[in-house]
Amino acid sequence: MSERRPAETHPTTLSRRGFLTTAGGAVAGLTLADMLAARQAPAQIKGTNLRLLIWSHYVPAYDVWFDKFAKEWGDKNGVKVRVDHMPHLELPARYAAEFAAGAGHDLMYYAGQILTGQYYRNLVDVSDLAEGLGKKYGGWLDAAKSAAQVSGQWYAVPDFFISIPVLWRKDLFASVGMGEPKTWEDLRKAAGQLKAKGHPTGMQFSHCNDANHNWRALMYCYGVKETDPTGQNIMIDSKEMREALKFAKAMYDEGMTPEVFSWDDASDNRFLASGVASWIHDAISAFHSTRLTNPKVFEQTFVVPEVAGPGGTWNVGEPNVWAIWKFSKNVPAAKEFIQGLADSQKDAMQASLGYNMPFLRGQYTKPMPYLGNDAKLGKLQDQEKITAFLGFPGPMTPPAQEVVTTFIIPDMFTRVARGGPIEDTMKWGVGEIRRIYAKHKAS
Amino acid sequence: MTQASPGGPPPPGSISVAIGGRVRDTSWWRTPTARRYLFGYTLLAPAVLYVGLLVGVPFAFSLYLAMSDASVGSPVARFVGIENFKSALENAVFYTAVRNTLVFTIGAGILKGVLGTTLAFLLLQPFKGRKVVRALLVIPFTLPIAVSVLGWKWMFDSQFSVINWALSRLSLIGGYGSPDWPVWLGQPGLALFSVMFVNVWRGFPFSAIVLLAGLTSVPPEVLDAAKVDGASFMQRFRKVIVPMIAPILFIGSAFDTVFTLSDLSIVYLLTNGGPDGATEILPTLAYNTGIRGGALGRGAAISLFLFPLLLPAIVLLLRTLRRRQY
Repeated sequence: MSERRPAETHPTTLSRRGFLTTAGGAVAGLTLADMLAARQAPAQIKGTNLRLLIWSHYVPAYDVWFDKFAKEWGDKNGVKVRVDHMPHLELPARYAAEFAAGAGHDLMYYAGQILTGQYYRNLVDVSDLAEGLGKKYGGWLDAAKSAAQVSGQWYAVPDFFISIPVLWRKDLFASVGMGEPKTWEDLRKAAGQLKAKGHPTGMQFSHCNDANHNWRALMYCYGVKETDPTGQNIMIDSKEMREALKFAKAMYDEGMTPEVFSWDDASDNRFLASGVASWIHDAISAFHSTRLTNPKVFEQTFVVPEVAGPGGTWNVGEPNVWAIWKFSKNVPAAKEFIQGLADSQKDAMQASLGYNMPFLRGQYTKPMPYLGNDAKLGKLQDQEKITAFLGFPGPMTPPAQEVVTTFIIPDMFTRVARGGPIEDTMKWGVGEIRRIYAKHKAS
Repeated sequence: MTQASPGGPPPPGSISVAIGGRVRDTSWWRTPTARRYLFGYTLLAPAVLYVGLLVGVPFAFSLYLAMSDASVGSPVARFVGIENFKSALENAVFYTAVRNTLVFTIGAGILKGVLGTTLAFLLLQPFKGRKVVRALLVIPFTLPIAVSVLGWKWMFDSQFSVINWALSRLSLIGGYGSPDWPVWLGQPGLALFSVMFVNVWRGFPFSAIVLLAGLTSVPPEVLDAAKVDGASFMQRFRKVIVPMIAPILFIGSAFDTVFTLSDLSIVYLLTNGGPDGATEILPTLAYNTGIRGGALGRGAAISLFLFPLLLPAIVLLLRTLRRRQY
């Protein structure tokens, strides 16, 4: 996932924000009225207020659509809705403050960093709502439970997840006699040959979100399990993890440059748009931004949902979920709002330009909004079959989350890429992870 | 205010042992000395209250958190004694953070001192447009930190760094992709230097302004007398100027040390402690553990390790300052 904001590379006559805003606005105008007419909220919420906190979406047009949706939903149901947007990295601090104060937003959003396990004692049990949505839309993906359930109860309602596929350059791969990459070995081979021609690849080795996702995708494809399915027992000290580290070292040496150690979430977007990258592993906002900033590169940029490793094909998604504080002053309206938004998933996905991948199986009926109409992105319509989340195959528990926020996995890959012995790195990394899990068990 | 007049009544704290019993006590409160005490403490009370509420309470709360298993989502925390401190000491990254924090604080402090002093002397000289230059120089200090740091992030970008492009055009380094192309935020030594550099860039105008205020308070006739006596520039600086502006220097240094040691924003925005802990400092480690990771107790314990680092420095500075005052 990346900071996918405009004005990052070359200016164009139509700005990215302008394009996305126009697209989102058009979608919103066409379908919102029909959608809102479909459901009538209970009378008890009429005349109430609803304050909700949500992240600033990577696709600005989605925020435009969302704000319009919120206003029209509020008008229709007699609820005064106030929407606050905040960058996702600032959300955890905000929630800590709201929890300490016992006051804040009625409805809140966990973006990327899922705090359901940390706050569940103070969250409204929304099992009725989540199970109702599951029945209505063909059931939840198994991965949804990882982010929203604690001990079998739903304390959050999944909204969507961000998929992080491989974006590759067809022309460059063809120049070394290669076609669409199918495996991590293909990616490594292509990067090795193309680096010599001035087209290396890159995945972040730094302390940013993308580093956490990308290396885990490689790990899971190599068969690495972070924990057992309960999330209680660490499984990372394995032969598969050692193999993944070894492979990453080779891929770095052969196909990357040291700049990957400094990258932030947006660096790979720029790397692709600049025409240098042979391939990157990033969300489709990089694809959209390249469309606007470098059309020639965009023409040759294609998408692969994920490549395979010895342990299968797993893509690490970034989930986003809704949750309601127990101290919320308007729980009924908050639940109705989530229901209303879930019922408008098609419009939301269209407004996000195919970015918002649904958690409900029934919403994968082809053609999916936006993706189904795009020749290159259409491949992502089966993404639900290969998606896993941080902590896999265990749930996103508080210790799993702390392992993420302290960047232990990216640091393990960094140490090995820089020439550190694999066994020493394993000893350090596994030791740190064990220490975190032991602390959480003790508390 | 702190001394009773000779032969007068004892200070309020010892009134319970005063001879004379109730009559003496009652009458003492009506004396001018008592009224003076009362007046003095009344004037002092807002400051004590202010410090107590804004410094004492948060500090006590940090101590409470650090000795509990508090998490961001747990309303009830158990007392765990020094477990969180022990946990920090068992964490290998913690030692890296301590080392980086010291290097960052001391290195940035020295650089800011040298640059600030040089700048202050330059700004003391009369030249055309001096007022404008003085105003421009405080811009780094007054800019919102997020804005200025993001500007630096672009300048340190691995691909589009304006610094690298300038160096490359001057043929001092090779082109993009060459082995000598610096990756400012990616190479461990360079990354720590870069975050320190931004701190220095942002802070040295403050040092210069503080010094300038001190320098302008030195009477010119004292410096002229030293000159007449044959003192060189360095002798005048060491033997005349520094002793005279020492109180300002010490206060400025104390402020700067506190601000630098607890500076989270620059590192958080530029590298978030990466790569592989190369720029990890105690504030980023505490934030990522306590707030983002949710382990409030352990985060608080890590942040409290700043206290023993800071306390000796501040005590030393303030004691030196007090000695010089007497």
